[in-house]
Amino acid sequence: MNVQGESLAGLLPDVDSLSRTLEETGYLADPGLATALFCAVRLPQPLLLEGEAGVGKTQAAKALAEVLDTPLIRLQCFEGIDAAEALYEWNYARQLLGIRLAEARGDGLEESSLFSRDYLVERPLLQAVEHRGPRPAVLLIDEVDRADEEFEAFLFELLAESAVTIPEIGTLHAHHKPIVILTSNRTRDLHDALKRRCLYHWIDYPTLEHATAIVRMRVPEADERLVSQIAAAVSRLRTIDVQKPPGIAEAIDWVHAAVLLGVQQLDAEAVQRTLGSVLKYREDHDVAIEAGLAWVSGA
Amino acid sequence: MPETADLSPAQADLAALVAAFGERLRMAGVPVTPERMARFAEAVLITSPHTTSEAYWLGRVTLLTGHFQIPVYDRVFDEYFRGYVDLVEDTRTPASTPASPLDAGERAPRDTGTQQSGGSHSPITSATPGLDARGESEVEEMSMLAATSLSERLAERDFSECSAEELALLRRLVEQLPLVPPQRRGRRLRRHARGARLDVRSTLRKAYRTGGDPVHRSQRRHTERPRRVVLIADVSGSMEPYARVYLHLMRGAVRALGSEAFVFATRLTRLTRQLSAGGPDYAYARVAESAPDWAGGTRIGTALTRFLDEHGRRGIARGAIVVIVSDGWEIGDPREVGEAMRRLGRLAHHVIWVNPRSAAAEFQPLAGGMAAALPHVDTFLSGHSVRALEELLAAIREAGERRRG
Repeated sequence: MNVQGESLAGLLPDVDSLSRTLEETGYLADPGLATALFCAVRLPQPLLLEGEAGVGKTQAAKALAEVLDTPLIRLQCFEGIDAAEALYEWNYARQLLGIRLAEARGDGLEESSLFSRDYLVERPLLQAVEHRGPRPAVLLIDEVDRADEEFEAFLFELLAESAVTIPEIGTLHAHHKPIVILTSNRTRDLHDALKRRCLYHWIDYPTLEHATAIVRMRVPEADERLVSQIAAAVSRLRTIDVQKPPGIAEAIDWVHAAVLLGVQQLDAEAVQRTLGSVLKYREDHDVAIEAGLAWVSGA
Repeated sequence: MPETADLSPAQADLAALVAAFGERLRMAGVPVTPERMARFAEAVLITSPHTTSEAYWLGRVTLLTGHFQIPVYDRVFDEYFRGYVDLVEDTRTPASTPASPLDAGERAPRDTGTQQSGGSHSPITSATPGLDARGESEVEEMSMLAATSLSERLAERDFSECSAEELALLRRLVEQLPLVPPQRRGRRLRRHARGARLDVRSTLRKAYRTGGDPVHRSQRRHTERPRRVVLIADVSGSMEPYARVYLHLMRGAVRALGSEAFVFATRLTRLTRQLSAGGPDYAYARVAESAPDWAGGTRIGTALTRFLDEHGRRGIARGAIVVIVSDGWEIGDPREVGEAMRRLGRLAHHVIWVNPRSAAAEFQPLAGGMAAALPHVDTFLSGHSVRALEELLAAIREAGERRRG
């Protein structure tokens, strides 16, 4: 634990150094997010990231893993996810073979030997706990609001103790406390007991300058003027009554599409050809057309 | 922000400072636990922030648990660390809930006798506790027999024809209605004697006892999970006689089924939290505070669109049974109602529309909003009396099992 703290302290002495190294990997974090990630690594404490879809929650975890030069272990949550999919499962087929083999050899077989590490299939949470370093793994528990409420309770031991319990083997403590990042799209309220164990950060839509800088970094081949036009158009689209206001991910998709089609300058016609990459509902297209494509393009 | 934060342990006693700041936040309504304060202090020690802005982010990340707490945090932080108090924000007191839209409720269409004793209180805060006291003493005085026969008579009565005392009694009846959660198929599998799938884990366990040969087979099948129910009630002026009764039903559904509850007149208000805590009177008082458009005009289309944008599409309506209680009188554009209902129909598993006015013999769905909504409604019910409410509950139960059609 202390060794871990020291090695990470050397790597990340303060929030600014984290911001800089994140930027080197191609992720621009605002001061709030950088502080949140810094605390998650150094306290260490699980971090709950919330925000609208497409503001870069998942990307933040990926960038952090890259900065720390450590594996990113990702658990995508979904309705009905359970221990067998998140934590561990016994390799039944192999156990059966083991029984047969022992039979053929005429050996006696202890049941406990069937429930040893050899027959264990590691799922993401166990992988994160078992990670051998040198630095802790980054564990991304993505879209935790999609999992059932019961599943949250199941994460508590991991979040608080960095340990998991397998009844047949016992409690496994992490050699290197994994850095846990949870994301939620707020489709439902998470339980207070889960929130209590986590740091919290709300990622807002980036400001215009920040968005421009992010897109420029992610799509370096795009023309600078085009990038600023698209960033401005995205923030304009966010002001009209669309069902899904476009986030930074959509802005990046839009620039990619425009570059692919050889668009030099964003005008009404270019917007019309590429609108599908930024608005994903037919109704939203109608709203944008009503507002005027020329207005959207800023021409 | 070049000003220096007064946070280094050399300059101030960190623990006392953090505790005082936490206390201030708690008074402002953000539940800061000692655990979180310790986390804040630890973060300050690690980073020793030099600017107020750095301290701001450390506190925000460590002390909060939700997005909705950010405005309060910002205000308290500014007061505490930047030394200015926003007077405009501070003058709003809880007592100054807008009273005018609520007063509109006083012009209830029917003469409800002694119901309105006070002058300008909201219909809920004044009427319900008043009703309550009177209703309860009345009930206790009555003999069991009389109560039973009265209940039976009342069960058939249209809510809009009931007196205040009768409504109080009805509240009891409504609260006693059996709420059975509708079911859906879960993703998980559980061992079951007549399951269709092989339970490998259990079969192999049993095989150890029979020398490794799987003699005894175990099966499993999908579990049943409760299906979400969403109740959206119209509390505009024209629905006034029904609104309070439905509030009782909503409170029961929120508490027993974990349903989501919304009301709307001119705007949409989510009531799930208000209805889930405290006794009924407390809950209704909080409802009156949070829905100032009570008994106002109706904007069904706007309210439903808002529901879909802010809640429904995020997941609340997905695969849920959505119950809308409204007479369909729309002051806005009926086309908006149609469009919102079409979207809702695609999201929800089953849409039930309850229109208490439809019990009348001469009823025809002519109200603009109603006509626009009907094509997208799976079940249409009246729900005007306790009997009719029983039908509604049965419809909710059945809708859970039915495959989407």
